Amino acid sequence: MFEMIFSLVMGIGFGFALQKAGLTKYNKIVNVFRFTDLAVLKFMMTTLAVAMVGIFALNTLGIVALPNIPATYIVGNLIGGLIFGVGMSGAGF
Amino acid sequence: MMKLLQQKEWSPYLAGTLLGLVYVVSIAVTGIIPGASGAFENIGGLIAQVVYPELTKNTYFQFVMPPGITTAVMILLGIMVGAFISAKLSGDFKMQAVSDDQWKRVFGKATWKRWLVLFVGGIILEFGAGIAGGCTSGLAIGGGLFLAPSAFIFIAAMFMSGIPVAMLMYWRKY
Repeated sequence: MFEMIFSLVMGIGFGFALQKAGLTKYNKIVNVFRFTDLAVLKFMMTTLAVAMVGIFALNTLGIVALPNIPATYIVGNLIGGLIFGVGMSGAGF
Repeated sequence: MMKLLQQKEWSPYLAGTLLGLVYVVSIAVTGIIPGASGAFENIGGLIAQVVYPELTKNTYFQFVMPPGITTAVMILLGIMVGAFISAKLSGDFKMQAVSDDQWKRVFGKATWKRWLVLFVGGIILEFGAGIAGGCTSGLAIGGGLFLAPSAFIFIAAMFMSGIPVAMLMYWRKY
């Protein structure tokens, strides 16, 4: 039960950040594929960097155990990514 | 502080920092990597159980993505609530059928076109995410932060197909 409510709160933070970055808008998403507005990449890479530093700092201090990382199966990741890109670029979400 | 919350748009670096902290807190407290696409599969499984139960009797729905109201569904709900709060605070919230000025300029005002592309695109997107094992949030960021190879293969593939599709759609206006 705690996990459910906690996830809801995390989701609220997630949605708040997305909306503030403007990633809920069609033009932001599609323009990254046209190289006219790189906000999506800036946003994604900042998130990556902050999360990476945070998690590994806490892990080194022994506070946090690393969860199961997403599995790598090259063909699946590749083909899935290719299909995903078509949808993302078209729909813009 | 209130002024910052009411701003229409933050710099992507600031918003990205906030999302990064969400990932850190979520993984630190519960070990859950936030993701959006899994929730649709959970809900889809629930619907399939009612409509056509045979469909859920395979390895995928029994072990990989069990149907039900999972934490992923809660995150998805939270995303909607959070985006709504943010939009309301900044006065950015409005209801509209065709979502964007850029779309209207390039493809015209017809609502059905936008809805069709959105609907078909959404199906393709979710299908791809199902095969790859996650979407931009769950796999690209959630895996990338552990330097998982899958995340970087996925990001590369996403742009490999996304760029030509945008090129084709926008053609001369690319």
